[in-house]
Amino acid sequence: MFAGFDVVAQSIGQLAEPITLALLVGGIVLGLIIGVLPGLGPPIAIALALPFTFHLEPIAAIILLLGIYSAAIYGGSISAIAVGIPGTGAAIATVQDGNKMFKAGKGGEALGLSLTGSIIGGLFSVICLAFIAPILATVAIKFGPREFLAISVFGLVVVVRVAGESLSKGLLVGALGIFLTTWGLDELNGTERYTFGSYHLYEGIPLVPFLVGVFAVSEVLIGAERALQKLDFDQTSLTVKLPGWGKLMKMKDVLFRSSALGTVIGIIPGEGAAVAAFFAYSEAKRRSKTPEKFGTGHDEGIVAPETANNATVGGALVPTLTLGVPGSPAAAVLLGAFLIHGLAPGPKLFAERPDMMYAIFIGLFIINILMMVIGLMAIRFAAKLIQVPTTFIVPTVLLLSFVGIFSVSHSFFNVGVLLGAGILGYVVRKLGYSIAPLSIGFVLGPILENSLRQSLVIADGSVGEFFNTPIGLGIYAALALTIFGGPLAGWVKNKMFQRAEDA
Amino acid sequence: MITQRAANIAFNILVIVAAVFFALEAETFQTSGLLASTGLPSKFFPQLMLAFIGLCSVIVIGAYVFRGFAGTDKGASVFEDGGAARRGLLVLAVAVACYLVWSLWSFIPMLILIGPACALAMGVRSPWMYVSLLVMSGIVYLVFTQLLNVQLT
Repeated sequence: MFAGFDVVAQSIGQLAEPITLALLVGGIVLGLIIGVLPGLGPPIAIALALPFTFHLEPIAAIILLLGIYSAAIYGGSISAIAVGIPGTGAAIATVQDGNKMFKAGKGGEALGLSLTGSIIGGLFSVICLAFIAPILATVAIKFGPREFLAISVFGLVVVVRVAGESLSKGLLVGALGIFLTTWGLDELNGTERYTFGSYHLYEGIPLVPFLVGVFAVSEVLIGAERALQKLDFDQTSLTVKLPGWGKLMKMKDVLFRSSALGTVIGIIPGEGAAVAAFFAYSEAKRRSKTPEKFGTGHDEGIVAPETANNATVGGALVPTLTLGVPGSPAAAVLLGAFLIHGLAPGPKLFAERPDMMYAIFIGLFIINILMMVIGLMAIRFAAKLIQVPTTFIVPTVLLLSFVGIFSVSHSFFNVGVLLGAGILGYVVRKLGYSIAPLSIGFVLGPILENSLRQSLVIADGSVGEFFNTPIGLGIYAALALTIFGGPLAGWVKNKMFQRAEDA
Repeated sequence: MITQRAANIAFNILVIVAAVFFALEAETFQTSGLLASTGLPSKFFPQLMLAFIGLCSVIVIGAYVFRGFAGTDKGASVFEDGGAARRGLLVLAVAVACYLVWSLWSFIPMLILIGPACALAMGVRSPWMYVSLLVMSGIVYLVFTQLLNVQLT
């Protein structure tokens, strides 16, 4: 589904505009800064920047947000390495070896390894995105309600499964997110649902204020609780030392495997960078000849998670762009950005705005290259930001959220939604629920409802007809495999082990 | 300190009560004209979700009542200590107060209030922090009004 060289040339032309280039660089710097600050991850970074994009052209806006997304994931590793506190969830797996290496006086090497891994993972996933997304879009254009229902169920169940330790709690907040999307006029027949006489609610609970509230405001309130804790670290070990060619060649298997794992995990709707990082870390350890070195400040213990977490960026954009189903919480917020610019991600977007798609592919490629340059120059400065007191960050983020949401809509109602969603996010987080299913449920809700209702109408009471969809069945089978595959394999292994012992 | 067990049981009871309320509210949905006879009724999906939420809440309550925990929060508290609870809840109160100030009066009083009030809620003693926060508020105001041409009233 190659749109032609003229479209590619047009995309490059749009990216080459000074304002877009400036925003691309600005996005990387901003993402790096927000990623470094503990607690403020990519979804919050994108959410906070979202209102600023309202006044921009769609391509410039999306490029700014993609720069923030990529850099914020990488930025999280800086605080993980320097102080042992991950700036983002995606960097949790980096803490073990990164911080040990930093404490051993090899901080520069650790930062170099994380930067190199992030760039390689990011570039790998962009190439995959550019090849897979157009093919998937060609297939997805034939999808009907039953296929979209299967994808939505898959995305939601997977995110619930990985988001928390209690399945029932995850399902509860996921369903809560979906339920909240039923407010407003029924898209299929115009019935008023839970509008309580307010015209503000005719279009339902607005997506962007809800997501900004759930991510940013709830984080601010959590941050306020630990506001007086001070962070300090040795700043003499902050000069980045990039790994040599020989070292990279030694780790080529880890780099390739982690890139592939990150991309694939990113593509699975609902899975995020943190899952990919942990998976790549454990896989690198399992296949290593020296697994005992992991956790003691080992090179591969930094490279594997950092390569994988940045590889999820391109991967997560595959379902987001082709199906309109976000691959991660950050991609869910990014989806909101598309919507406020009047673009509906899905298979049709490839046919309607090929220039936008190629601009995203090429822009992401440039972002990863520039991240290397900016990372080398700014890492020292960025690391010092770890010491910005939370007492300063809390009111700043709160004010930016208020003003940002108001500036998009000029509506106090939307600011109220922001606050309400923030309180909801705070309460559920304090009670041990994850906000990932809540946000993904809120994004997937309309797709899920419409596709379920349409599927039931098509099936006309027949269960066989409801499941008469080979693609849908394949997705349900994959879902069953992800849920029961692990326990089943363990059970088979145990049985075989018992038989071998008996023999 | 309030335990996860007590807080989760109370929260899930509230969720069940709210689910019943919204399920009954869904019974009042009215579709007019020809569209009323097409497809499934509008109340179907919200009530399906509410039933599912209710079921999950019952399971969560069951887990806390009979096992004492769900996941890995055995014996855990909602807040680390009294200070953390005070800071978190006071900043929440400040956020709500600022929203009310903005909607009842205007933007400027909220802009001046938000930084220092948050700092006070978090127990900040350094006067420099209060000054820095006022400067930050001024910068945010200038960026939005002068650079982005947003009318903040």
